[in-house]
Amino acid sequence: MEKKRLLLTIVTPEKTVLSDKPVDFVTIPAAGGEMGVLPGHAPQVAQLREGMMHYRDGHHKEVFAVLNGFAEIYRDKVLVLAEAAELAKEVSEERARQALQKAKDTLAMRGADLDLDEANAALRRAAVRLKVAEFRKKHKL
Amino acid sequence: MASLRDIRKHIASVKSIKQITYAMKMVAAARIKRAQNSILASRPFAVEMDRLIADLYCELGEDDLAGTPARELFCERPLGGTRCLVLVTADKGLCGSFNTNLLKAAAGWLKEHRGQKICAVAVGRKGRDFLKRLKGLDLEIVHEMVGIFPKVGYMHAQLLSEAVLKLYRERPVGKVTLIYNEFKSMMAQRIVSDQLLPLKAHILGCGTTGRAADFAFEPGKAELLNSLLPRHIAAQFYRTLLESQAAELAARMSAMESASKNATELIEGLTLKMNKTRQAMITTELNEIVSGSEALGG
Repeated sequence: MEKKRLLLTIVTPEKTVLSDKPVDFVTIPAAGGEMGVLPGHAPQVAQLREGMMHYRDGHHKEVFAVLNGFAEIYRDKVLVLAEAAELAKEVSEERARQALQKAKDTLAMRGADLDLDEANAALRRAAVRLKVAEFRKKHKL
Repeated sequence: MASLRDIRKHIASVKSIKQITYAMKMVAAARIKRAQNSILASRPFAVEMDRLIADLYCELGEDDLAGTPARELFCERPLGGTRCLVLVTADKGLCGSFNTNLLKAAAGWLKEHRGQKICAVAVGRKGRDFLKRLKGLDLEIVHEMVGIFPKVGYMHAQLLSEAVLKLYRERPVGKVTLIYNEFKSMMAQRIVSDQLLPLKAHILGCGTTGRAADFAFEPGKAELLNSLLPRHIAAQFYRTLLESQAAELAARMSAMESASKNATELIEGLTLKMNKTRQAMITTELNEIVSGSEALGG
């Protein structure tokens, strides 16, 4: 008999990161703590906080950084709706820190033609990135 | 009659205008592809989100909801008092009737709700300037967002939804209306005026999914719905912004294309006129020379 597998889908508003990818094991950063999902999991809806999501596909492991969102597990399908999801190795701590600093500076200057919304958005993005990067460092991923 | 030099100058200026309009057209054409792609990319998220909310809502009983912030978003409110308008326009002009039509629609809406207090949220420079110019209305611009096109991100939608939700929580706003341009095709845009809040219950078509699974929820269902709904609104805003962005680019593209075409026609006409003038000048000169020599030599 073929081994049961999970189908993992990750979608964010800006793009579909993974679509029905067969994997063996997923951990999700649920609101109440890390949650491991194996094939045959009970149907569940969980809220996510920002953190790392792992999945294993055979011997291949991958780590994603996800931001606030939701996960739905139903009949061996794992659906993750996140506000942002990135491959953890693509997040660079140094760059995140620089971006954060830059965004703060722009906000602090408050020039005449300051684009407040853009700066606010940049600030948030950078803060989240940095969090992810620090998290990764802490857990030595 | 215009002198040769004047015509030449005129041709040169029309040519440089044509270059600019042509360049703008190409830029818009290049960007529109990206804008369309991001609309497509945002769809799965919105669809799954709606499904999740519908599932969740069906699982919930009325008493679970009572008194939660989520309930507030569904409740109809008395319509007498304040109204809220979210107007999504472009930041820049030169895109045909894109902004004009929007502003006309907004003016119509404002006329309809004359006498009520209006809270406005302006997205895009054109709309903000329009709302600021208005006089004699009980209108207050609560939040404005300029300079976000053509690089709309989900973050912008989130900021916008936070602002609107805050407004909705803190003031007795009866209804939040959204006016924007929908991207229909490359050639046509359609103005849409939509009710954003209170949320319509029809997004919660129960039983559509038909799954009777016993979902476990973490944390509670009500809390989950509370945090889902703002995201649903943000996703809706995101879609709106993307649609408006694509529509703006499409409008600009066709406007600039016809501008380039007009410039070409104008240049043709001017060139013809220039050649005629030159010809006439040569003829007169020849005439003068010939008649001069005839007068001298006999």
